[in-house]
Amino acid sequence: MGYTDPTSSRDLLGNRALLFIFVCAFAVVTLVQQILYGRNYLRSRLQFSWQNGEEMANWTSSSLNFTDGGALRNGGDTGTRYFDFYEGPLEFNSSKCLELRKGITDVKVLSMVKQTELFERWKNLQMCKWEMNITQANIFKATLLRCCNAPAFLFTTQKNTPLGTKLKYEVDTSGIFHVNQETFRMFPQEMPYSRSQFKKCAVVGNGGILKNSRCGREIDSADFVFRCNLPPISEKYIADVGVKTDIVTVNPSIITERFHKLEKWRKPFFNVLQTYENASVLLPAFYNTRNTDVSIRVRYALDDFESQQSVYFFHPQYLINLSRYWLNQGVRAKRISTGLILVTAALELCEEVHLFGFWAFPMNPSGIYITHHYYDNVKPRPGFHAMPSEIFNFLHMHSKGILRVHTDACNCC
Amino acid sequence: RKLLKECCDPGQLFAMTKENSPVGKNLWYDGEFLYSFTIDNETFSLFPKATPFQLPLKKCSVVGNGGILKKSNCGRQIDQADFVMRCNLPPLTSEYSKDVGSKTQLVTANPSIIKKRFQNLLWSRKAFVDSVKVYNQSYIYMPAFSMKAGTEPSLRVYYTLADVGARQTVIFANPNFLRDIGKFWKSKGIHGKRLSTGLFLVSAALGMCEEVTIYGFWPFSMDLHGNFISHHYYDNVLPDSGFHAMPEEFLQLWFLHKSGVLRMQLEHCEDSIFHPAS
Repeated sequence: MGYTDPTSSRDLLGNRALLFIFVCAFAVVTLVQQILYGRNYLRSRLQFSWQNGEEMANWTSSSLNFTDGGALRNGGDTGTRYFDFYEGPLEFNSSKCLELRKGITDVKVLSMVKQTELFERWKNLQMCKWEMNITQANIFKATLLRCCNAPAFLFTTQKNTPLGTKLKYEVDTSGIFHVNQETFRMFPQEMPYSRSQFKKCAVVGNGGILKNSRCGREIDSADFVFRCNLPPISEKYIADVGVKTDIVTVNPSIITERFHKLEKWRKPFFNVLQTYENASVLLPAFYNTRNTDVSIRVRYALDDFESQQSVYFFHPQYLINLSRYWLNQGVRAKRISTGLILVTAALELCEEVHLFGFWAFPMNPSGIYITHHYYDNVKPRPGFHAMPSEIFNFLHMHSKGILRVHTDACNCC
Repeated sequence: RKLLKECCDPGQLFAMTKENSPVGKNLWYDGEFLYSFTIDNETFSLFPKATPFQLPLKKCSVVGNGGILKKSNCGRQIDQADFVMRCNLPPLTSEYSKDVGSKTQLVTANPSIIKKRFQNLLWSRKAFVDSVKVYNQSYIYMPAFSMKAGTEPSLRVYYTLADVGARQTVIFANPNFLRDIGKFWKSKGIHGKRLSTGLFLVSAALGMCEEVTIYGFWPFSMDLHGNFISHHYYDNVLPDSGFHAMPEEFLQLWFLHKSGVLRMQLEHCEDSIFHPAS
């Protein structure tokens, strides 16, 4: 016993030391993570809480070098001064607006500035009229043509996916879908839309920012309206989101969860689709193997009820190219969101693209908390989409005059 | 014998109803061992309140699909009954209506048919909906709880028809009833793996109708005059051997015919001499 005691105590010490090392290692890893990713987020939160008080005062803050807190306070002063001679939207090309836009485009990475700062700059930009910058837009569209080419490859068609094609899935790299007669028959002969076919398009996201926006009429006035993921457009939302729908996407997971994969009742699903009248239904059928059967069943379900609505499937190669393109632009996520896909496609199919309901932050630009969707507040799985990063890209494109992001209430009625 | 039928109480137990199958009741599949199905709220909501027929029924025709019906001219006579039962979604197109009639109040459908002919209703359902249109306003009787694999397709038949607002109503066979009938006939010496739908229907009809005439039950390859006949009146696809004990079943029905419990029509029908025996 006497001999074993010191050894055992040393052993114990060894264990303790090991434990200590583990704890230290964990702490270091966490700290590094915080420093790398969380710093700006944490800071912006703190910033937000103390700055809340003067939120109202500096809503027109025009300070452009938001590099530290001092400049912000400075901004408060200029804001009140600015308020005096503010008389309505400034011209797009006025020097003030150029400056404001530069404020947004100067932010190269989302984590470069605090979220509140970005909000401020965005809010300030709202007093400028938006105009399309044809050259910028054309440059961008030319890039898209080279990478993705929506007018030819957005959907699987009989032309781009002949009978017998071995279609590669987007994420299930080992999975291959053999295009058989049955499926081939469902494809449209050619892409139903051509390059810049529509003058003005609206892409409607489902963000809570749409709530009480009264943008319904403006959305409905577009020539072509895209909607994501079977959103409700019932009576009580019409004023905010409109009713016109030309393409609505459906996530197969919704069909699986809400409609039992269409293996049981089909009428409820059909009733929902009917609210969009003649809208085409767009599905990522070849995203992974699980999606295919469910998506194809949508066509059958519509056939059951003799519906004339078209059903289209995203071409997996288009989505792969698109993801790659946006990855280069800094959108790092497991998957790009349907919204981003639709916006990118719309940029090729339309001359002018307007975005509604795209705002993936917990508060609106004025700092007021909003719900996640305009119809509910169900948060998504974390880490699947990189929404803020996508929105950030849209803000950039807005500033460049490629598309227009609407985050304010519309002046209607 | 009619009294013996009361062992199984077809009037009450023929189909699954809200009365005889409350939520939470455990049902043992009658065609399989060891498996049971617990009635949940969703399934329960599909059952009718009570057996949906006006009992007792008066004159019933039970129509088998035997090749003997071909060129029998029995159509008119079959249609004269108040209640016509048919087996396994038989074709009723105009070319057959002279022989088999066109009226239907109850038609059985086997889940295996749903699987084979309509891909389990997982894809397009239109073909199925169109194919049952010939049965007009009738009940489709499905043994949903006989085999485990049959439950889903059977329920799907219900969903399909309800979705499109079809005039047919789906009712589900009660496995307890099927088991009792099976036991009953086993004691009478029928040793097939499983009773044929025809015999189930005849048994049910005997319990629910005052007069039963059966047509197209003739499991042999020759008719009474020695002419070869096809297996079914619409095709000549032979079934898997050893599943049903058709000749034994026929023998039992023949006894019933002899003792006057039911009438079996084997010859060609002539309208003028239609005197149903009871």
